[in-house]
Amino acid sequence: MLRRAVFSGFLLLLAALVAAGPALAQQPKRGGVLRIAEREAPGLDPHLSISFLTHSYVSLTYSQLVRFPYGPEQKSPSDFSIVPDLAEKWTVSKDGKTYTFSLRKGVLFHNKPPVNGREVTAEDVKYSLDRFISKSGFRDRFEPVQAIDVVDRHTVRITLKEPYAPFLNHLANPSFCAILPREAEEKFKDFNHPDAVIGTGPFVLKSYEKGVKVVFERNPAYFMKGLPYLDGAVIEITPDAAARLAVLRAGKAELPHIWGWISPEESRALKQTNPEMSVTPYQVIGQGFIYMRTDKPPFNDVRVRRAVALALDRKGWNDALLFGEGCLDAGPVPCALKDWKLDASKLDPAKAKYLTGHDPVEAKRLLAEAGLAKGFTMPIFHWPGYVLPWRSYYDLTAENLGKVGITVELKPEEYGKYISTTALGKYEGAAMGPSTPFTEVDDFLFARFYPELPTNQSHVADAELTKMLLAQRREMDPKKRKQIVDDIQRYLADKAYYVYVPQWPQYVAHPPYVKGFKHHDGFGLGMRLLYTWLDK
Amino acid sequence: MKRYILRRVALAIPTLFLVSVMVFALMRFMPGDVATRMVEGHAYAPTLQALRHDLGLDRPVHVQYLDWIGGIVLRGDFGKSYWTRQPILEEFVRRFPVTLELAFLTIVVSVVLGVLVGIVSAVRQDSVSDYVGRILAILALSIPYFGLAVLVVVLPSIWFKWTPVWSYVPFTTDPLENLKIMLVPAFVFGVTRAGPVMRIMRSALLDVLRQDYIRTAWSKGLAERPIILRHALKNAMIPVISLIGLQMPLYIGGSVIIESIFRLPGVGLFFFEALTRLDYPVVQSVNLIIAALVVGLNLLIDLSYAFLDPRIRY
Repeated sequence: MLRRAVFSGFLLLLAALVAAGPALAQQPKRGGVLRIAEREAPGLDPHLSISFLTHSYVSLTYSQLVRFPYGPEQKSPSDFSIVPDLAEKWTVSKDGKTYTFSLRKGVLFHNKPPVNGREVTAEDVKYSLDRFISKSGFRDRFEPVQAIDVVDRHTVRITLKEPYAPFLNHLANPSFCAILPREAEEKFKDFNHPDAVIGTGPFVLKSYEKGVKVVFERNPAYFMKGLPYLDGAVIEITPDAAARLAVLRAGKAELPHIWGWISPEESRALKQTNPEMSVTPYQVIGQGFIYMRTDKPPFNDVRVRRAVALALDRKGWNDALLFGEGCLDAGPVPCALKDWKLDASKLDPAKAKYLTGHDPVEAKRLLAEAGLAKGFTMPIFHWPGYVLPWRSYYDLTAENLGKVGITVELKPEEYGKYISTTALGKYEGAAMGPSTPFTEVDDFLFARFYPELPTNQSHVADAELTKMLLAQRREMDPKKRKQIVDDIQRYLADKAYYVYVPQWPQYVAHPPYVKGFKHHDGFGLGMRLLYTWLDK
Repeated sequence: MKRYILRRVALAIPTLFLVSVMVFALMRFMPGDVATRMVEGHAYAPTLQALRHDLGLDRPVHVQYLDWIGGIVLRGDFGKSYWTRQPILEEFVRRFPVTLELAFLTIVVSVVLGVLVGIVSAVRQDSVSDYVGRILAILALSIPYFGLAVLVVVLPSIWFKWTPVWSYVPFTTDPLENLKIMLVPAFVFGVTRAGPVMRIMRSALLDVLRQDYIRTAWSKGLAERPIILRHALKNAMIPVISLIGLQMPLYIGGSVIIESIFRLPGVGLFFFEALTRLDYPVVQSVNLIIAALVVGLNLLIDLSYAFLDPRIRY
C-alpha cells in the first residue's frame, strides 16, 4: 500500500515536472547569434531600393514612428494594428487631416560616427519623411501629405490634403518610413554605405563584407529595455536556393530565408530528412492572377472574362500542386488579409462562382453568347522564373482554357522586360503573375482598379467602382470603411477584371532551439528578431 | 618579338573599342528599363522621371557612351553601380581575386587530371586503361558542372547533415581555411573541364609519338619516361595550352553558377546580378575589363608557344 502511494506520488511529481518543463524552458535566454542564409540585398538605402531584401536587412537597424505588433504583441500574423515605435502617442484631428505625433524622449541613435549616439528629434522625423517623399519608389503612398511640421523638439505634425485612411498603416510598414539621421547622408551621400546605416533599431550593423555576410550586434541602448535577447544576427549571403536549404539541414544556418520561408514541397522534404526541425505553415498575404486588357476586345466583354474565370479548375490545381493546402478564394482581397476579406462563402453564390467555381460548360456557353463560339487565341505574357507552382500554373491555365475553346499562346519574357513593361500594363491580350504582398487593403483595391494607374494592370475604368475606391480611402471610421470595402468585394465578384488563382501557404522552418520567432506578414525582420531567442 | 608584342597591343585597342560599343548597345537593346526595374512597378511617372534624371538616363545615348568610356580612358573611372551607387572598380578589385583563385585552382585540377589520364591513354593506346580513361573523359564532358555542384552541396546535407558550403574567408586572412572553402568548387568545376583536356592531350600526344624525332629517341635507347616527359610532352602541350586559353571565358562564365551555389563572393556573381538588375554601368565595365584580360591572356598564351616549341619565332 505504502509502496503504491510512494509510487503514485513519484508519478505525480514526474507529471508535474514534465508539465512544468516547457513552462520553465519558455523563459527567454539571452545571448547567441542567429544565422540567416539569404540572397544579397541590391542596396542598403531604404529609400533608393524597393526590394524587400533591402528593407528586411536594414529593418534590424531602423525604427519608425509607429509599427505593427510582433512576437507576443501580435494576435495573428496579419495583425496590422498600430502600436508605438518612436512615437509614444499620437492624435488624429476630427476631420482626419492632421496627425500629431509625440516622440519618446531620450531615444538615441547607434553610437557610430558622424551621429555618435545623439538623441532622435522631431527634425529627424521631418527629414526622413521628406526624403521618403522625394526619393522612394513607394512615395505615391504619401501623395495626400501636404506638410510635415516640427512643432517642438519632440512633436511632429503631419497635415494631409484630404482624409486618408491607409496613412498609419503605411507609416507602420517597414518598407517605407525608417527614421534616418541627416548627418549620415551628408557624410556618405546616401544610406547605401554600411557605415551610413545608423538607426535607433534593436541591432547595430557592425560589418558588411560584400557578397559574404552582414553582421549585426545587439544595440545596448535600445529603448525597449532588456530587448533584444539575441547578442546578434548574421546574414550569410547565399544566392542559391538549394544551398540555402542545404545549410539549414547541415546546421550552418538557423533560417533558410530572410523570414524562414520554404515552399510546401520543401517543407515535406525537410521534415523527412530532419524530423526534429520546426516547420510551421502560415497562410501569407500573397496573390496571383490573370490580368487582361479589359479596355479592348475580346476582354472588354464581361462574358469572355467570366468564361476565363469559370474555365479554371482551382480545386484541381490545389489538390495536384499545393497538397490541398491552398486558398481558392484569393482575390480581390487576399485570403490572409483577414480583417478586410469578405469570404466568397458570404457572397451571393451566383456571383461567387466567378471567384471560386469551375464550370467549363457554362464557360463555353458564355463564349458562344459573346460571339466566340469557335474560340479565340489568347496570348499570356509571363515571367517563367517565379517560385515553383507558377511554372505549372501557366501550363494549367493553357490546358484549362484550351478545354473551353480558348487557345492560349504562352509568351515567356525575361524578368527585366516583364517587370518593367508587362507588369506595368504595357502588353496586349493577357498576362499572368503574382502580386507584391501589401499590408494595406488599399493597395489591392485602389492600386489595382483605379483608372490610369500603372498598377491597374487590367486597365479597369469603372465609374461606379472608382467612386467606392475613393470613398474607402477617405473613410476614417474603420467600421464604415470595412462596409465600403465589403461593398467593393461584392461588386467585383462577378466582374472578373482579374481572374485569381489559388494561393499556397508558406512554411517557416528553423531548428527547434530557435524560440519566439513568430511569422508576421508585415515585411521587415528586425522586430521579429526582437523577441527571438536561442534555447541552447 | 618586341615589334610583335607592340603590334598585338595596338590591335587590342580596336578590339576593345568594338567590345565597348557592342556591350553598351546590347545593354540598351535588352528589353525593359532599369529605372522601372528598380521600382518594380511601384512608382508613378514623376518618380520614374526623377530617378532617370538621377541616373543620367535622360541624356542622349551617345552622351551616355562618351561619358562612360571617357571616364575610363581619361580618369580610370569605371563608373558607379545604379543600384548600390558604389564605384565599380573598387568592387571588381575586391571580388576579382576570388574568381581568379577559383579559375586557377580549376585549371590546376583540370590540367592535372586531364594531362595525367591523357598521357596514360595515349601511351597505353587501346589498352584497358585507355578505355577507362576515355570513358571517364566522356562522362566528365557530359555531366553539367552546375548539376554536379548542386548534388555535391545537397546530397551530403541530406545524408550526413553536412555540406561543403562555408562562409568565405580571403586567402590573405587564413590560407588553410580559404583552401578548404575553394577546393570543393574548384574540384567540381575542374573535373568537368578535365574531359576536353584529356581528349586533346591524348590525340596530341599520339600524334607527337609518331614523329621521327621520337622514333630517333627510341632508337637511341632512351627510356620511356624521358622520351614521353621530356621530348613528347612539351610539344603535345601546345594544343592543350590553346584549349585552356580558349576556355578562359568559360571559367569566368561558369564561375557565375559555381560562385552562387558555393557562396563565393566573386566577379561572376557580381556580373550576373548586375545583368538581371539591368545595372548597365556594372555590366559594361566588368565586360570591358574581362575582355581586356582575355585579350592580354591570349597574347601571353601565344608568346608561350615560343617557349614550348623553339621553332616558333615572332
